[in-house]
Amino acid sequence: MLELDEMRQKWAEQDRKIEENIRLNRRLLSAGSLSGARSALQRMKFFLGFGAVVWIVMIVFLGNFIYENVGVLRLALPGIAADIYAIAMLAATVGQIAALQRIDYGKPVAIIQKELGKLRVMRIRIAQWGLAGGVVVWAPFLIVASKVCFGFENFSAAWLVVNVIFGLSLIPLAIWLSKEFGDRMGKHPVVQQLMRDIAGHNLNAATAFLATISEFEAD
Amino acid sequence: MTVASRQEMFQDLMEEHKKILYKVCNSYCRSRDDREDLAQEIVIQLWRSFPSFDERCRFSTWMYRIALNVAISFYRRESTRTRHVLSDEERILNAVDETASQPEEIRILYQFIEELDPLLRALVLLYLDGNSYAEIAEAMGISEANVATKISRLKQAMRQKVQRTAEV
Repeated sequence: MLELDEMRQKWAEQDRKIEENIRLNRRLLSAGSLSGARSALQRMKFFLGFGAVVWIVMIVFLGNFIYENVGVLRLALPGIAADIYAIAMLAATVGQIAALQRIDYGKPVAIIQKELGKLRVMRIRIAQWGLAGGVVVWAPFLIVASKVCFGFENFSAAWLVVNVIFGLSLIPLAIWLSKEFGDRMGKHPVVQQLMRDIAGHNLNAATAFLATISEFEAD
Repeated sequence: MTVASRQEMFQDLMEEHKKILYKVCNSYCRSRDDREDLAQEIVIQLWRSFPSFDERCRFSTWMYRIALNVAISFYRRESTRTRHVLSDEERILNAVDETASQPEEIRILYQFIEELDPLLRALVLLYLDGNSYAEIAEAMGISEANVATKISRLKQAMRQKVQRTAEV
């Protein structure tokens, strides 16, 4: 019966065959080809960087809106609520970019995988809290947008309360839809990821992987 | 160092260690297209990290760390990844399909590796490639004693796997 150590010898024998059987495409290893390509980490940084720019524009725009309507509380308060949300989302995005900058793939596997796992948990929690906050502040955002785009500003307090309640009622609906249909969205990876984030599947998988790493390190 | 000389040095080192690329991709991906996608991801990450490579360290250890870190991340986002179909000219790593001529033991070994979690896969790959416990510990970021314990358990699991295969 073969033991792992004997397998190691067979593996070394196989190495010689591999050497003969594989060839590298040196053309694709040129600086031109490689410098233009983005790694998965860089794609994520680019995506987050774009998100940060969008939030900065939003914060500047909302700051200006608050300044212009500082004397009109029914407009200034929704502006402040939306601005707080935008600032919190910007801070969360910058936090993710900073954590990504610290990732060095040349470090030992267990250390980097743990950092990546924590980053994944952070990303999922931000997506979940961002969505929960978004459905609450969508009514203030609507008030700001209606004033800026159409000059309409006569929203009653009852309208605001009804819309905030409507927004909150969307949370269980979104969770139910994500649990029911998230796994069937294979053709739309981005939508599927968001739905699995909302359903909590990704968070469970990420925390389970972190537990696996801790177990791996602790033995 | 100029970009051209850095590129030449990188190409030579990649040529010298192309087997690492091949074995890591084979251990984490089943399909040829997935293997190529992973090979590209690894090479891009190696090139991006190359300026920070400390020449006092062994290139193979550094390459293994990056390749395994990229492979584990790639494996974990398998279900949400966009897939590409490539022609031979677009492939970084071209390999003759050796699975047909692969010895039975190597086939069983790959099956065994596939059944392991991604971290243990990394460890067994480093072990099979002839690295010492100290080198494996350094690449994985765990203690030598921990490596020894895990290898011992893996040997036992391998014995059971071979026994089961023989019975079938």
